[in-house]
Amino acid sequence: MNDHVVVLEKLVKDFDGKRAVDNISLRLSKGEILGLLGPNGAGKTTTIRMIMNIIAPDSGNIRLLGEKFSEKIKDRIGYLPEERGLYRKLKVLETLSFFGELKGMKRDEIKKKGNKLLKKFDLESYRSKKVEELSKGMAQKLQFIITIMHSPEFLILDEPFAGLDPVNIEIVKDIILEKKREGVTIIFSTHLMEYAEKTVDSVVMINKGKKVLDGPLSEIKSMYGTQFLKVNYNGNAEFVSSLKYVKNVRDYGKEMEIELQGNNNKDRLLKDLINKLSVNSFQTTEPSLSNIFIKRLAQTNHVDKGDDK
Amino acid sequence: MKVLTIIKKEYKQIVKKKSFIISTILSPILMAGFMFLPILLQRAGREEKTIKILDFSGFIQKQFIEESNKNKRVKEALKLNFTNIIKTDQKQNSLIKIYEKNVLNKNDSNFQLIPEYKKKILDKMIDGLILIPENVKKTRQIYFCASNISDFETNKYIISTIQKILSSNVLKEKIKDPKIVEIVEKATRDVKPSLFIVKKEGTTKSRSEIPYIMSIFMLTLLFSIIMAYGQLIMRGIIEEKNNRIAEVLISSTKTQYLFYGKILGIGLAGLTQVALWIILGGVFISRYSFKIDKSILSFFTPELIIYFVVFFILGYFMFSVLFSIVGASVNTDQEAQQYATPISFLLIIPFIIGIMITQNPNTSIVVLASFFPLFTPTLMFMRISVSIPSFFQIACSILSSLIFIMFLAWIGAKIFRTGILMYGKKPSLKEIIKWTMYR
Repeated sequence: MNDHVVVLEKLVKDFDGKRAVDNISLRLSKGEILGLLGPNGAGKTTTIRMIMNIIAPDSGNIRLLGEKFSEKIKDRIGYLPEERGLYRKLKVLETLSFFGELKGMKRDEIKKKGNKLLKKFDLESYRSKKVEELSKGMAQKLQFIITIMHSPEFLILDEPFAGLDPVNIEIVKDIILEKKREGVTIIFSTHLMEYAEKTVDSVVMINKGKKVLDGPLSEIKSMYGTQFLKVNYNGNAEFVSSLKYVKNVRDYGKEMEIELQGNNNKDRLLKDLINKLSVNSFQTTEPSLSNIFIKRLAQTNHVDKGDDK
Repeated sequence: MKVLTIIKKEYKQIVKKKSFIISTILSPILMAGFMFLPILLQRAGREEKTIKILDFSGFIQKQFIEESNKNKRVKEALKLNFTNIIKTDQKQNSLIKIYEKNVLNKNDSNFQLIPEYKKKILDKMIDGLILIPENVKKTRQIYFCASNISDFETNKYIISTIQKILSSNVLKEKIKDPKIVEIVEKATRDVKPSLFIVKKEGTTKSRSEIPYIMSIFMLTLLFSIIMAYGQLIMRGIIEEKNNRIAEVLISSTKTQYLFYGKILGIGLAGLTQVALWIILGGVFISRYSFKIDKSILSFFTPELIIYFVVFFILGYFMFSVLFSIVGASVNTDQEAQQYATPISFLLIIPFIIGIMITQNPNTSIVVLASFFPLFTPTLMFMRISVSIPSFFQIACSILSSLIFIMFLAWIGAKIFRTGILMYGKKPSLKEIIKWTMYR
């Protein structure tokens, strides 16, 4: 039991009578990456803030690194909050040494690690610039450096990819994976499923404060079966959604993702498609996380389905 | 120690700013300017003034103008130019009579100038008009009408000169022997006062307005640095709130460390500035002491400087906690301003009381008010600057301030802890009070 790095038990948090987090539990072992998924306003950030002891849960238990949250373990955790912020008037190096010292780092250690990370993130030439002179993306990178510089054992990243360009998203993703290899336990929240899909070991999906899905990524995917197909085509594919055995279609114009009713309708679909379209490719796929998520949402709240394509 | 990290950062962030260097250098220059100001004002600050005399008694104006033309001080220092109105308008004479009758009968009535004279004053053709009624010998009543009646030196000159002329006229009329007239005139000459201010450091010649001006000046300085550094804290906290740095900070260290580190760091920056001023001021005074009015120099005793530092520290801690509470409770600078105003009132009220202090620094209301913790830093300092109260009183006020500061900081840290993570809506006072209850 005690080798879990993160243990949340039945967390509940109300804001002004509205339940923001409803009975969320999760466990995370050393070296695992957990994706905390959910639409905006689902309760991801509230959950993270409770883990970080920024707000107190109304009920429930939290244990990090085998103990209750305390001053002692603060230095062993790296936290990237959802809303980024740095002192605008501080220079890049001053920022590193301030936050580094705050995390209990020695001066030469800050120098060594800071320089290495600045190089990695291509920020070396900005070391004596003030934060306010950096672009938004650069400031984000600097914030990320601050989060990981003190080599925390547990990283908690709230929307780490938000506001980054594809190149930097790759860099951040690589570092997340590198940290995992070093044995760091990581939770990150995102509403961008594609990024989560490629990195996480397990997933917790929440919506309206409630956990709607959780488990290892592979299990979840197999649970949702292989009745997903990806078709690359030319022509007018409007008719597909009216086919009886088709459950769901996401049509992108030249490509569509089709979810079938049951497992035995692939041949029928292919026939029907060939009759009316020119099909370039036809392949079965694993459901994407976003597909699963959308599906799961539709199941859990029938009331407001369909307002978000 | 993480507190040290925060103290260091807050301190550096201020001291390294250009505005810190500028204000450190500029302030002593302003201060020096202030020292010379009274002298400069006296030498060059006067405009030439033309004052007309309308004399219905007929015997004063000639003597008055002669006397004034002989007097060097009138021409050079006061820059007054007296002329008479040759054609006396009898209408004004009857207006005076009506007014005097009304006053005698205790009827309310306004003093009336005939439009011609009024217009001359309003159009700045003349600066004033002295009206001498017919029966001035009996009533000894004169009238001085001007757009500015606050020029005490001019008023004093006019009054004493007319008084002299009147007296000698009356004497000459009643007493025929010029020798006796001379004796009486000699015997009734004005007393010339010289004012000396007595301090431990010595007794110095001064003018009555100097201690008043200087202590108001020192109080302004104290007030403005307490305000300036208090507001710096407030804005710093709002920045951390808005940037959400607060979350990173709190997940790295205790909120108390953050709170006290911030206040200490910025306070040290303030102290650095005060120390630099004292050094710069000391250098300046030692170099140019011969040029500075002795009565101003004698104002800056070492004791006063020490008390200035002590009360700056006390005032700073008191108000920085108040300002940090505001900073933690609001979301924008604009909202903060709304709350900062009442706080600055707490610093201004002692100013008003301060005016009472200069006249009588030991009236019971002033003594009492100077023990009210929020007023102590400014009011007690002002009392000290005018005339040093007993050491017991000073010690009591410092002690009560310290206790108050500790209490305030204890509450402040609690409000800060909750407030710094509250975004979005502005909390009500009730909620803020509730924050102090959290364990």
